[in-house]
Amino acid sequence: MALLLNEIIWGEPLLPIVQDPAWEAEVRRRSGHVSEVDLRVAPSHWLREAAQAATGFHPSVISERLCRIGNMVTAQENACRYCYGANRAYMKVLGYSEAFIQSVERDVQAAEADERERAFIAFCRNLARSRPRPSRAARDSLLGLGYTQAEVTEMAFVIASCCFYNRVSTLIACPPERKFESMANGPVGRLLGLAGSLLRLFGFGKGRAQAEAPIDAASLSAGRFGAILTPLANLPAARFMKSALDGAFESEVLDRTAKGLMFAVIARTLNSPLCESEAAKLLAGEGVGSAEVESALSTLHSSRLRPSESGLLSWARDTVYYETPEIQRKTGALAAGLDNATLLEAIGVAALANATVRFAMLLE
Amino acid sequence: MTWALAALGILALSIGLSALIVGSRRRQRQLENLLATTERKLEQLQRQFERFVPADVVERLTDERDAFAPEHRQVTMLFADLRGFTALCDRLDPAVTVNILNEYFSHMNRAIARHHGHVTEFVGDGLLALFGALEPNPWQARDAVQAALDMRAELARYNDTLSARGLPELRFGIGIHGGEVVTGVIGTAGLSKFSVTGDPINVASRVEGLTAKYQVDLLITEEVRRAIDDGFRLRAMPPSHVKGKTETIQTYFVESVAGHHH
Repeated sequence: MALLLNEIIWGEPLLPIVQDPAWEAEVRRRSGHVSEVDLRVAPSHWLREAAQAATGFHPSVISERLCRIGNMVTAQENACRYCYGANRAYMKVLGYSEAFIQSVERDVQAAEADERERAFIAFCRNLARSRPRPSRAARDSLLGLGYTQAEVTEMAFVIASCCFYNRVSTLIACPPERKFESMANGPVGRLLGLAGSLLRLFGFGKGRAQAEAPIDAASLSAGRFGAILTPLANLPAARFMKSALDGAFESEVLDRTAKGLMFAVIARTLNSPLCESEAAKLLAGEGVGSAEVESALSTLHSSRLRPSESGLLSWARDTVYYETPEIQRKTGALAAGLDNATLLEAIGVAALANATVRFAMLLE
Repeated sequence: MTWALAALGILALSIGLSALIVGSRRRQRQLENLLATTERKLEQLQRQFERFVPADVVERLTDERDAFAPEHRQVTMLFADLRGFTALCDRLDPAVTVNILNEYFSHMNRAIARHHGHVTEFVGDGLLALFGALEPNPWQARDAVQAALDMRAELARYNDTLSARGLPELRFGIGIHGGEVVTGVIGTAGLSKFSVTGDPINVASRVEGLTAKYQVDLLITEEVRRAIDDGFRLRAMPPSHVKGKTETIQTYFVESVAGHHH
């Protein structure tokens, strides 16, 4: 069963805090708080923006309540001490009762949760774990309970983006936000929780989707991993996925071929032919033929990678299913041969690939 | 008089209703306590159960949405057996024997888990590990061979600690084979486990037996050799007859990881 907060073993950070006053001021302006993750991903422009967008995401078709529950359950399934602790604390500040939070994290039949909500929680656990990978029946059962196609799509995105953030935090071994967690569990947290309950009671926070213009299906379809992103058309989630994928592949810290191969490896690990074929298309654009892709996938090695990156594909595969201490140990071993910028880029790409493939499962 | 009677009636009704509400709340509290206690017991039971069965299997067995249906699946099997351990048992104190065995299994289990395998059973001083049994794994043969090499390194480290404690060193033989088997929860209602069945498992066991004949510690079959890349240094062994097979079996001794990897 999924671990509880105090059962997760968490290592020492693998990347340092990088002081970037302009970025910190920008984060403070956007969200009021600069997190440990914000400070450690600061050197990578696309990754820091993606991390900010993931934490600042507001759903447009599902409720904030489902989004919050989804974030905590997914973080718990991924045994991410950083995100699990932060999301649990955030739920308390928003006024969710300790009894309700415990019933969700212990996966028991919460009296406060109805059948639809319980089905959503099961979907979160199923997609986050992907062991075995979620079936079409799991998605159809949500539709059968009255959720719309758009709601199911946004649910899958919430879980996928949470998988992204969980992996960024876990692979860096980002120190938990202990001050925030203590505050949420103390008298100030209880006061804020009371205020949060009242605000939720009066419907504050509903429909707080991002203000940016939506991206249509044609624009998504024409871009990288277009076949996967198209269902997100006109949802705020589309901007997150598109910006993150474009940013990741335009960055020059890691070679584009290495990144394409990492995506293909993660797609194959999760048995997603759709995502694997999208990665292969991208690699073909870089001059990597299908035989070469297949060879790299079957051996987890490629002569196109620099010697210091030879362990990258094997490590990318390990970021799909893992025990937290073990993946942090393996990331530490990978870090020994890479500079900080390359390691950060690799972590971001692996995290994004895990999110993209999990989202792609919705279409298969 | 009428008013007094009506007031008395209302009072009696109120008292009756209050008693009903109080009683109902008490029953609700009792039920909630009972539910909480049952949940704690179930959680405890699941955690204890994980000592005997891999956590992934427990998770799926206790999830009503996951049928865990039997199916045909490509699986790589690794058999490991200690050499001469039975004779060693006769010379050692039983508590020391069990302690050595438990520590050995613990080392081996860690090496197997690091490479995406899971131990499905311990029999005496032997173990069976499966790769690709719980979910499809395109790299299962490579994982099994790497796990075996890791087991070799773990055993060397463990032998150092045994020597330091004045205890005899251990030696093992490992056989690896892959093929299509049936996976599922096998056994009776009283005693069952997630495991595999089919001819390939017998072959894996026989190949493990060949390690004693060839005086090597790690053999793989031709099927496994074909499924792994050139990242391992292998030495072909003479084809050999094994029990239950009319044709000879070609095996390879795995010396090490080839120099150009890692």
